[in-house]
Amino acid sequence: MAARVLQHCVRTLRLSSGPLALRAAVVPAAPLHRALSFYSADRRTRCVNKFPSLDVLCRQYGQLPPLTLESIEERVLYVLKLYDKINPEKLQATSHFMKDLGLDSLDQVEIIMAMEDEFGFEIPDGEAEKLMTPDEIVQYIADKKDIYE
Amino acid sequence: MASTAATRAAAGASKVVKPIFSRDLDEAKRRVRELYRAWYREIPSTVALFQLDINVRTGRDKVREMFDKNKHVNDPRVIDLLVIKGKMELQETIHVWKQKTHIMRFFHESEVPRPKDFLSKFYSGHDP
Repeated sequence: MAARVLQHCVRTLRLSSGPLALRAAVVPAAPLHRALSFYSADRRTRCVNKFPSLDVLCRQYGQLPPLTLESIEERVLYVLKLYDKINPEKLQATSHFMKDLGLDSLDQVEIIMAMEDEFGFEIPDGEAEKLMTPDEIVQYIADKKDIYE
Repeated sequence: MASTAATRAAAGASKVVKPIFSRDLDEAKRRVRELYRAWYREIPSTVALFQLDINVRTGRDKVREMFDKNKHVNDPRVIDLLVIKGKMELQETIHVWKQKTHIMRFFHESEVPRPKDFLSKFYSGHDP
């Protein structure tokens, strides 16, 4: 991909310019094994700090930080704690909306809509009616966004 | 009507009536949820478009109240008809075919409440 080629050119330029020669030599082997998102996050920090003149050659595509299962769970629980019909002390990852927290089916619809707004993608009603605990919501989002461990 | 006569005649057998939209209760409830979603998302733009003096939260509570009034209904055809009426209201609200007064009518702001205890009913006249 174009980003990788440009990076390789920048790397070789840096190799020739010298001071970080050792570190830069190790790096070209590593990116082939890492995912592109981690790679670009690293590239951004390194580009800005060390060689400001070479920033012109680093294209920085706008990407969100990569989602992890922990970050999804954290965001889901944060949104649920903000909901005023839920008692934040009683809320856990496995608490059922209808049985444990005493919510209505329309409340559950509102919760799923809040999740849609938070994560930015549509959840169709056929699948939304089955998501009854925060764990299930996290699982569903991880399935849709292809996040696994 | 023909359908109700047929159902009464076939007493003892299971009731088979022509559905309006949904065939069973689950499908009807799904339509209710879709309608609720549409109304929930529409409230902020309604408040802005009609320049209402209410909060978005008040509007959403009112939508919830209107839905809760019919919570007890079990017949899929009745639910379908209520959903159709709700969709008509939603369409009129989205396209601004209504006006501010029609929306505010839901909030019963200037209605005199009907008297409930004996003495108030007595004072306001014979109205059983």
